[in-house]
Amino acid sequence: MSELSKWWATFRVSWTQYLAYKMNFLLLVVGPVLVFFFIRYNLWKSIYTLEGIDTLQGYDFATMLTYQVWVMIIGFLGQGYNGRNLAEDIRLGRISSYLIYPFSFWRFHAGNFLAFQGIQVLVSVVTLAAVVAQGWVPLSSASQALAILTGFIYTLCVGFFWFQMSYIIGIMAFWLDETWVIRVMMITISQFFSGALLPLEIFPEVLQKILAYLPFPYLTHVPVKLFMGEYDGSLLTAYLMLGFWTAVLLLSGRWLWDKGIRNYTAAGI
Amino acid sequence: MLNSTRPIMIESRGLSKDFLIYHKAPGFLGSVKSFFVRENERKAAVDHFDLRIYKGEIVGLLGPNGAGKTTLMKMFTGIIVPSRGTLTIAGYTPHERKMMFRRKIALVMGQKSQLWWDIPAMDSFLLLQKYYEVEESLFQTRLNTLAELLDVKRLLRVHVRKLSLGERMKMELMASLMHQPEVLFLDEPTIGLDVVAQKSIREFILSWQKEYQTTVILTSHYMADVAALCERIVLILAGQKRFDDSIQAFEQVLGQQKFVTVDFEKAISELDAEVHAAFWAALSPTWNTRRTQVELRIPESSLREQAIFLLQNYPVSGFSTEKLPIERVMNELLSNPELAQL
Repeated sequence: MSELSKWWATFRVSWTQYLAYKMNFLLLVVGPVLVFFFIRYNLWKSIYTLEGIDTLQGYDFATMLTYQVWVMIIGFLGQGYNGRNLAEDIRLGRISSYLIYPFSFWRFHAGNFLAFQGIQVLVSVVTLAAVVAQGWVPLSSASQALAILTGFIYTLCVGFFWFQMSYIIGIMAFWLDETWVIRVMMITISQFFSGALLPLEIFPEVLQKILAYLPFPYLTHVPVKLFMGEYDGSLLTAYLMLGFWTAVLLLSGRWLWDKGIRNYTAAGI
Repeated sequence: MLNSTRPIMIESRGLSKDFLIYHKAPGFLGSVKSFFVRENERKAAVDHFDLRIYKGEIVGLLGPNGAGKTTLMKMFTGIIVPSRGTLTIAGYTPHERKMMFRRKIALVMGQKSQLWWDIPAMDSFLLLQKYYEVEESLFQTRLNTLAELLDVKRLLRVHVRKLSLGERMKMELMASLMHQPEVLFLDEPTIGLDVVAQKSIREFILSWQKEYQTTVILTSHYMADVAALCERIVLILAGQKRFDDSIQAFEQVLGQQKFVTVDFEKAISELDAEVHAAFWAALSPTWNTRRTQVELRIPESSLREQAIFLLQNYPVSGFSTEKLPIERVMNELLSNPELAQL
């Protein structure tokens, strides 16, 4: 019970922090939608119109738009959390307090992430309502609603994978002065191989087979297909693969923390 | 002090911490060179530090910048891992960071806020209440007591970033005491504060410590803090312990001497003083720029005869004596570290 109240208190403080700066919060909510409209929508509209293409590997403009809407929603729920400058906190010695409070550093960040996810769920629901009203995403049957619910639950697990990835990249600051290069590399590679930029069906078949053993397709491709109600693989396998890679990250995170904390000098105090 | 009847709260043996320091030549070429070859040096920040502190003691950890005080504090609180030696605090090894250990200690850093910057202090206190599992009614009692003692009741709902340094430091103290720690580490708690705020913080710490018998380890460059709070002083120079005894013993580390200030009716030129060169040289004189006042260190045993000599030979208009205050002892020891040999 007391453990639960610690988590709940962490959520409350995190929410208070997110709401402390009104403009930041507003941009957090509306920013991705604006980016989506001005970049993704116009990009794909130009590709289809200027090139005179009707379909691209079976995707017509409307389906591609729906695909991109789900990529955005997965971006909210799965990849929105940036680790709140964890690397900088380590480099500047700001994590010292968390080494003294009887609530571990990882748990504080996990609590912070879950609070953030709460906000992202809200943002996703509002955005989804807007795009459904716009007609970019069809939602007229119970099966479509069930598909969206399945996709939501799965994507929340993807979010946890990305949180742990973000945590690991952050604690690399025990050894590296800058970790943003690793973060950008990781995001770029995963965007490409997860189907965030292009649907994976466009990729060569041999590459798709190799990717099936890596975490990437389970981060965007699978949840998009779940949202669209088009996933023809085993949902259990998808959960197992995602769970396996998350477990790998959790264990690696623990190992890296134990090694890294020995290098921590608490600079600046 | 050194009361062996009380339980031991802190004990270190051969405690050492090394840091690897990288060197880089200035400029672009230096950067290119250091990209391929990084010169480094291993430096002992704390070297074979033995210490025993008993429950309820208030110990001042003194030393110049870079002496190793903060490194010691970081090891005591488990923030960094020692390179060698053993350390036990309240029965725990700090760097293992066991949850029970964390509940027994608190750290206040004058130069680093531990409160969440973007939210009111009250929100931080509520979070810490849960983390330290402080029961609700006890929490409310402590909150009210501390807020009243520190006179910050009206500030509890103000964002921490909007508070003045003195107000923030009071909040930091409140946050650290909310779980009633057995050991309180205070790292420069009055740094940057005005004299009134310094005094009020000192008085508060003293009254709290008296009531709860908290073991307090204090580092401060303000000797007024040390004189007001500490019963025992541990001096650290270049990572090594150089003095460990009562504050009274510290005041007499340079011998039984008095600090004397003499005012003259007119300036005493160097030529005038040269007549009694041997007399002046023995008393370590420090003249003011107009040479109308001099500060002297005189052994207590010869104070009477030296004073008579001065009155007979110079136009003395004023005379004051005091014991060598710890600030002056510190200055002397920092200039001549060899004087502070254990």
